[in-house]
Amino acid sequence: MEIGHVSKKPAHAASSLQWSQWQLLDSILPTGGFAHSFGLEAAIGTHMIGGSEDLRTFVVHVLENSGSLLLPFVYSASKSPDANTLHNLDRMLDAMLTNEVGRKASVAQGSALIRVASAAFLEIPSLKMIRERFLGSGTVCFHHAPVFGLICGLIGLDSETSQRAYVFITMRDVISAATRLNLIGPLGAAVLQHQISDVAEAVVEKWKNRAADEACQTVPLLDTIQGCHAYLFSRLFCS
Amino acid sequence: METGTKSGEVRVEKVGGKSMVTKCFSKYPLKFIIPKKAGPSKTDSVWIYSLTYGGGIVSGDVISSGLYVGDGSTTVLTTQASTKVYKSLGSKCSEQLFEAEIGSDALLVVIPDPVTCFSTARYSQKQVFRVVPGSSLVLVDWITSGRHESGEVWDFNLYKSTNNIFFSDGQPLFLDTVLLEQGGIAPLAERMQDYRVIAMVVLLGPKLRHVQIRIQEDVKTMMSGQLRVSFSSLNCRKKPNPHNTSPDKPALVASCSAFGPKRVGVVVRIASMTTESVYSFLRHQLEDLEPLIGLSPYC
Repeated sequence: MEIGHVSKKPAHAASSLQWSQWQLLDSILPTGGFAHSFGLEAAIGTHMIGGSEDLRTFVVHVLENSGSLLLPFVYSASKSPDANTLHNLDRMLDAMLTNEVGRKASVAQGSALIRVASAAFLEIPSLKMIRERFLGSGTVCFHHAPVFGLICGLIGLDSETSQRAYVFITMRDVISAATRLNLIGPLGAAVLQHQISDVAEAVVEKWKNRAADEACQTVPLLDTIQGCHAYLFSRLFCS
Repeated sequence: METGTKSGEVRVEKVGGKSMVTKCFSKYPLKFIIPKKAGPSKTDSVWIYSLTYGGGIVSGDVISSGLYVGDGSTTVLTTQASTKVYKSLGSKCSEQLFEAEIGSDALLVVIPDPVTCFSTARYSQKQVFRVVPGSSLVLVDWITSGRHESGEVWDFNLYKSTNNIFFSDGQPLFLDTVLLEQGGIAPLAERMQDYRVIAMVVLLGPKLRHVQIRIQEDVKTMMSGQLRVSFSSLNCRKKPNPHNTSPDKPALVASCSAFGPKRVGVVVRIASMTTESVYSFLRHQLEDLEPLIGLSPYC
């Protein structure tokens, strides 16, 4: 094999990975993320959001709770991206997401994500195989965090980047929900997202690389409030 | 777990048609008190009061106990007063581990007073329940923000509470861990907003169907009345309220969710500004247990 040909391969793989990574994190990927407000709509309903400071506080709390509860699942799935691991993590997360609103949102997004990924990332046939196997058996709900970790692992993202990516999309989606709830304008949202990125990184640093059985809730009030989503008389979001 | 490492163990079994204590053991710092008669004699249930010597949990205490609730029997586990966790000495953490096995057609009702952690306390508790189809469980787990009269509001260093329910084959049915630690990315008091009490109620199994239905309806009615429409009445881009208060936050927020196969369980999460309103909520919602256990909880 020629030297030139060998040295081209790693660079090609690295840039190819960037294209997949950007597509995975792009909000245009049809995973239905925009149907969910992470409890923000319910928080407005329970008078938790009075002003812009309250919105920032809320987003930070969502990031911290997602970090402590869901990052372990992203981590474990990305470290061993296979069917058995997905099955075990999915069963465990299903028992941990005790808030029905959040649980349904997780299943909706995870199902949509694996459907898109198995259709688009055809160079990874195991994605389609895993999806079809579990659709057939009905033993896996396709919760979002483990599915996200699985896909990151299979496309070749390292586990730390995968976890950072998960916190990124969580932050992106809550702030996006805030603009649609008329809490902040699109420019203000961009400013807020950049301002909070330090905090988001701190969340990754604190909660990364933990086993799934260490998952816990650190902002239990969020769970209580998100559960109230179903009681809202009129709703823009599913959760 | 061998008896040697445990601080306490109780076995309740149905003997001659009645729930009877067939084993009871406890050692310092734990004590079980089992009154001969807790309610009207026609109600078949065993009441167990769990106490710690000195009225609280001292830094570094490790208390583990086990409970077996045999087929067809009914057991209530409760406390005499709020569990106080005293300040931590030298960063030591106090721990409680409780494991219970619930048989078929059996009912376990766990209705303690809330945990109150004093300033700088470090406390961790884990409660594990193993159930079979036909088991019923009421589990109340709650914590107050501390001794508010002394100005301690979410002033403890660490509180961790794990409640796990497994099927007999080891599959998880319900897994919940709450971790409240000082010095998180967001300060602890800020994470709790103006609320001073958080509580969780789990209702699982066939004997609690009527309690589940009632609590879901009552919480829905209570909360629907308090929630306002998000879109129309809100405009956060106006100048903020100069008084900087949030007078509209509900004094008690609650939500219910079903969980498990065929929605066999219901979990209720509550956040409240006062301990008394949670006692009142629990009294009201659990009063239908009286025919099953002889007394109405939290009265």
